[in-house]
Amino acid sequence: MAVPDVLAGGIQLPGASPGFGGFLGYRIAIGSMFELHILLAGIVSGFTQFGPVVEWLGWMRRRPHFDRLAHGMGRFLIFYFAFGAASAILLISSLLVGLWGHLWAIINRVLFWPFYVEAWTFFMMVILTYLWYFSWGLLGGRYKVLHMAMGGTLIIASYLQVAMIDAVASYMLTPTQPGNPIAVFMNPTNFPLQLHRTIANLAYAGYGIAGFAAFRYLRSRDEVQRGFWDWAGSFGVIWGTAMTLTQPAIGFDYAKEIQLHAYGAWYKMMLGNLSPEFLAQIFLLGLMLLLPTWYFLRRLRSSTGRRSRVLLGLLVLLAVTTVFATIPYQFAMTYDQVQAQGMARPLWEGGLIFPFAAMIPYKIAALTAYAVFALAAVFWYLHRLPEVRWGVAGRLEQWLLITSAVLAMGMIVLMGFIRENSRFPDGIAGVVQLHGQQTISQPSIGPSGQSRAQVPFP
Amino acid sequence: MTRLPVAIVERLAPLAALPVRRTRSVARRAYAWLDDRSDLRRLLRVGLYEAVPKRGAWAYTLGSATLILIGNQIVTGIFLTMIYVPSTTEGWETLNWIKQHDEFASLVRGLHLWGAYVLLFVIGLHMVRTFFSGSYKRPRELNWLSGVALLLLVLGLAITGAFLPWDQAAYWTAVVTTNIPSYTPVIGEYLRTLWRGGDFVGPITLVRTYGIHIWLLPALLLGVIGLHLYLLRHNAEFGSYVNYRGAYRADGARPEREARRELEPPYPSLPTDDEWAAPLETEDFYPDQTFKDGLVSLAVMTLVFVLAVTVGAPLEERATQNTTTYTPVPEWFYLPLDQLLVLVPQQLISMVLWVPLFGVLLLVLLPFVDRGHERNPFERPAVMLPALIILVFMLVLTAQGASRLFNLGV
Repeated sequence: MAVPDVLAGGIQLPGASPGFGGFLGYRIAIGSMFELHILLAGIVSGFTQFGPVVEWLGWMRRRPHFDRLAHGMGRFLIFYFAFGAASAILLISSLLVGLWGHLWAIINRVLFWPFYVEAWTFFMMVILTYLWYFSWGLLGGRYKVLHMAMGGTLIIASYLQVAMIDAVASYMLTPTQPGNPIAVFMNPTNFPLQLHRTIANLAYAGYGIAGFAAFRYLRSRDEVQRGFWDWAGSFGVIWGTAMTLTQPAIGFDYAKEIQLHAYGAWYKMMLGNLSPEFLAQIFLLGLMLLLPTWYFLRRLRSSTGRRSRVLLGLLVLLAVTTVFATIPYQFAMTYDQVQAQGMARPLWEGGLIFPFAAMIPYKIAALTAYAVFALAAVFWYLHRLPEVRWGVAGRLEQWLLITSAVLAMGMIVLMGFIRENSRFPDGIAGVVQLHGQQTISQPSIGPSGQSRAQVPFP
Repeated sequence: MTRLPVAIVERLAPLAALPVRRTRSVARRAYAWLDDRSDLRRLLRVGLYEAVPKRGAWAYTLGSATLILIGNQIVTGIFLTMIYVPSTTEGWETLNWIKQHDEFASLVRGLHLWGAYVLLFVIGLHMVRTFFSGSYKRPRELNWLSGVALLLLVLGLAITGAFLPWDQAAYWTAVVTTNIPSYTPVIGEYLRTLWRGGDFVGPITLVRTYGIHIWLLPALLLGVIGLHLYLLRHNAEFGSYVNYRGAYRADGARPEREARRELEPPYPSLPTDDEWAAPLETEDFYPDQTFKDGLVSLAVMTLVFVLAVTVGAPLEERATQNTTTYTPVPEWFYLPLDQLLVLVPQQLISMVLWVPLFGVLLLVLLPFVDRGHERNPFERPAVMLPALIILVFMLVLTAQGASRLFNLGV
């Protein structure tokens, strides 16, 4: 039925997008759906990239339990893949097109190639994931190398798929020349975001395995099963912690690029209305390193009967660092603010200057300390790992793993909230506003703010 | 008719072979003369005939490739000393003249530059391979330490060589690099002044760096190479875990083929654990391993040649400090450190400069920290995982630095 017929029939096409509770309703609907999507997609990406590695490790080390774990990860993917994909379809086809059509049209026009490649790599990823899982028995034995090659291809497809989405997400914060696909892809925050998310997905996979394994361990009565799930929990948390301890450096680099290229967003996150959430994130990061260290300490003790003094020391140091790192920024006013109040004196002299709350250099030092202490803890646990007997872990250790997994999920949700809200009220920073869907200006590149746009926006 | 040419050839063939036979005879007598006076035959036997691990032999070719690349640096470097004038007024002029008028010298300069870049890459790969295979363990700790010394010397040569063109890039590299020692506690200022020959970078800085680049560091390098090769022969090549009985412990399986022949010294005489003492299968260093070494070295040198011809050695504008538009770009192998300096706030810069020293300390301590008998990288997670994190971190910093430079448009 053609449109005039519709109009002739008295059916009016809507002049605007559905009400949905107004602008706040849009934001809540899209935001909550995005949070759900990144929780599902993050674990799917993490598993598709980590699962084949686990299989390969098992083959190289001739340890069947690695293969069992990798197979289990494949089964998880089969069950949960569709949820992640369905949430993305709902987001795109209904919420983004229906509620923020103008923004979505611009994004699609500028980022056509990343979306195009993303679609195909996602298609590859789906096919390879199912093939990888369902050919496990068929391509075993002498054909195992072929199966692992398929797993390697899955890693590449998965990474590329995430990289393309990262190009979109980073462009929305730091837009560059819209007519040049390479410049669009290589926008200043793309590479740091790719790293940050890839490592985060891998860490999430590790914590996820640890949490699930702990849950299964607590329910298992069979000795062999308990041994397996005990080992899987330990393996997952080592991996998760090892990945997470690199995040302070990678995250700092990302923040630095945001500071250089999207100062407003950076200011909002560091010193503005999102700074409490950012501090909460630093606190969560501390806990995500602290709890595994506690687990390492307890796990060694369960096996050897002795408490590792090195790990105990590292646990205390991580706890002190966490407290130090989460001193609110509000305690670190600028010199001008303090001067204006006539209180340019240190706290201990009744003034307002409390330098330890400042990001530079004290929070940087705390973030570095996080990485160093956690690396030392992982090293020490791995060093003592041959002494560990599997299947004799206590309940507290398992709850530490489950809590770590929950914290990892909380971290992902919080990170998504902070990043997406940092550019608010804009959809593409400095280019399109969310409310009213108004185009503000052409995008620019670099701190100079000079526009190099070649192709006009719609 | 057709028999005539054949007959001619048959008659002439011995005559044609005569010079060859005579030359062979002369060479044989010269060799005998030399051998009589220097025991050359024994030297060659010692140098070329030794049993080396067979499995994964292609991975053990990086050391030879490194040596060939160092040879390339020495030969091309000697050639360049005959043209280059180590002066702030004439250094750039000579190189610019080469660039404009002398294609052969430009090619040699390209070979020197790209040889250095490829050398750094190959030596890095060689170290990573050695680390993964656990070849630094007893009794090869000194092999590893001399290898670390070689890496540092090559890095030193690379950075001092970067000063010499005295173009904009060289000048700002000199300014930044000579400032680094000033962060040393107590004697920092003294070290900087010693290197610079004053408070500022200038002619004396260039002459001193030139001296360090062509005399001091190469002399040390050759000495350490000699030590490294001596230790390699003394302790024998380890190869990697796949060559040893210890690799098959996990499931108790033994390889289908045991050693094909009696193992030659020094393998069985080493005081290591039995399962890691002698490879299960060996082959001769000459010609088996040397053939592979030769092929890889040829491939690497071809790459250097192609890069020297196609890209060449760049030369920027003459050095001047009176510029506000020039964006200094670090050498690619210092990109991780440069990126770290960009990231870290001013107050912590001195701390960052300790990071490379900390890295060197880790490398030096490695054989004394990881002393377990296990060589299989998959069974050494306590060192492998932290090392992988550090390695990935360096790669990430390099990539981030490259991304930053891309967005700066340089």
